[in-house]
Amino acid sequence: MSFDVQAGETFGVIGESGSGKTTIGRALVSLLKPTAGTMLHDGQNLAALSANQLRKARRAYQIVFQDPSAALNPRQTILDSVCEPLEIQGGLSRIEREARAIEALGRVGIASEYARRYPHMLSGGQKQRVNIARVLTLRPRLIVCDEVVAALDVSIRGDVLNLFAELQRDFGLTYVFITHDLSVVAHVSDRVAVTYLGRFVELGPTEAINEAPLHPYTQALMSAEPVALPSHLRTTQRIVLEGEIPSPIDPPSGCRFRTRCRHAQAECASREPEWRELRPGHFVACHFAKS
Amino acid sequence: MLEVRGLSIAFASPTGFTPVTREVSFSIAPGERLGVVGESGCGKSVTGLSILGLLPRRHSRVTGEILFDGEDLNRMSPDQMRAVRGRKIGMIFQEPMTALDPVFTIGEQIGEAYRQHFPVSRAQARERVIEALARVGIPLPARRHDEYPHQLSGGMRQRVMIAMALICEPRLLIADEPTTALDVTVQAQITDLLLELSSTQGTALMFITHDLGVVAEVCTRMVTMYAGEVVEDAPTDEALLRPRHPYTSGLLRSLPRLAQRKANRCSRGLRRSAVCAARGLPRSSCRGRWHERADHAGAAGARSQDSLRHPRAGRHGQGRGWCEL
Repeated sequence: MSFDVQAGETFGVIGESGSGKTTIGRALVSLLKPTAGTMLHDGQNLAALSANQLRKARRAYQIVFQDPSAALNPRQTILDSVCEPLEIQGGLSRIEREARAIEALGRVGIASEYARRYPHMLSGGQKQRVNIARVLTLRPRLIVCDEVVAALDVSIRGDVLNLFAELQRDFGLTYVFITHDLSVVAHVSDRVAVTYLGRFVELGPTEAINEAPLHPYTQALMSAEPVALPSHLRTTQRIVLEGEIPSPIDPPSGCRFRTRCRHAQAECASREPEWRELRPGHFVACHFAKS
Repeated sequence: MLEVRGLSIAFASPTGFTPVTREVSFSIAPGERLGVVGESGCGKSVTGLSILGLLPRRHSRVTGEILFDGEDLNRMSPDQMRAVRGRKIGMIFQEPMTALDPVFTIGEQIGEAYRQHFPVSRAQARERVIEALARVGIPLPARRHDEYPHQLSGGMRQRVMIAMALICEPRLLIADEPTTALDVTVQAQITDLLLELSSTQGTALMFITHDLGVVAEVCTRMVTMYAGEVVEDAPTDEALLRPRHPYTSGLLRSLPRLAQRKANRCSRGLRRSAVCAARGLPRSSCRGRWHERADHAGAAGARSQDSLRHPRAGRHGQGRGWCEL
């Protein structure tokens, strides 16, 4: 996989479970080391740094996880949880740390009276806000959002997505938004990458993918998304994929999507499709895709 | 076929019984597909469970009538209820992994449901189970019969749940968030399967979900619940096109949409307009129907943010919604 994320942009990654999207996110913030290939953050290869240097460098690259409750220590108050990254960073007194934590909490809409409470006293949406505040304390440049709204209710989902947009505007943040929810990714992202079984199958500007997806997998994914529209306003023909995503331990030969593809032909089994730029900035890996 | 009248549920708490739902009423005609939507905690799952008498009797109090073919399920003895459960009304739960027993093969589990209601031998039950597995689109049903839940993928497990719920050919199927734990492509397969089974077998469907998209595709009628009350009951197309209750409209607006992004492209600040929180004060860029609700709550003499969570505001809204209907 090769891709770049520009400063200040929101890069969306979509795919089904087992497509490797979370692994990408973890690798981006050096929670996993790439087996092969390199990853440069501002020209710097984090994997090549010593443990000490890495600890300093990774402060600029943070991740927010899917399950807001699992990400917080149930035995620590909200304030302690939010202060912890600053403690590890060092250099600030306790009072300064707490002031900064409360400021960060305020920024995400958590009133200071919540600071002394424990995670179980907060709702899911509030907990996710706390998680966001926690990564904000370190003033990161890139935040990887791994299914950040998947565990939240629709209405709260909207709230949290709005918060992300607001923070991006105010702090000039860069996001990598990992999700299986197409509508979320399309809503927040500038560019979208579609993953299937550990490979990118399509990458392009959100509008382009939205209006004219090139890869048959993206087309199926888009058509499978249920839309809340009355029947006569629904236009798209559903493409229902047969079966499920194959095991990544023994992926199909050639094109990995061929086992579920409508257009699969003999060529797909023998030759892996190239990563082609069909339109400016719009890449696809399929033998038969045409712009 | 099913008629729920004034169903109120209260759970025991240290300070006495706490109401969970109040005066819920709706009905399902034979073969109808009804969607019940609302956020978590609005009482939709509890309503589903109460129909099947699955709430713990000691810790909950269910009042009102649940008429199924004219009989009140709420007054039935546990024995009578057992004859209805599974046989006349089937249920599918959200998380197939927790609903299936990991130490029994799926065949044994589905067969158990069948043998509970029909006096057949194990061999006959096995045949029926294999048939049922084939009907829900499980490949190699004879082999799958002897496999354990952990050997199946999430989508397959949910198919097993559907096979189990439908093996006795119930007249009503209650599906509680059956696709929430699944990927979109698998979700599409499962909703198609439910649609097909309900139309070929004439099974009525009560589809509990928070996903309005799924409701739009599956259901003919939609009941919206909020804070334990039904706030809107209308044909799906009608409810989606012209939601009468501000909460339904708020729910609809809070959906991030594929098509809307383009309009918001001009400035990031405008992104807010599409994703609008259903809870809390209206965003300045998001007025209209939702604003109506804020005014409305204002009249109730409280700040809308607080009163929206308060059941009374919901009831108030309900009255208004009803008038408009």
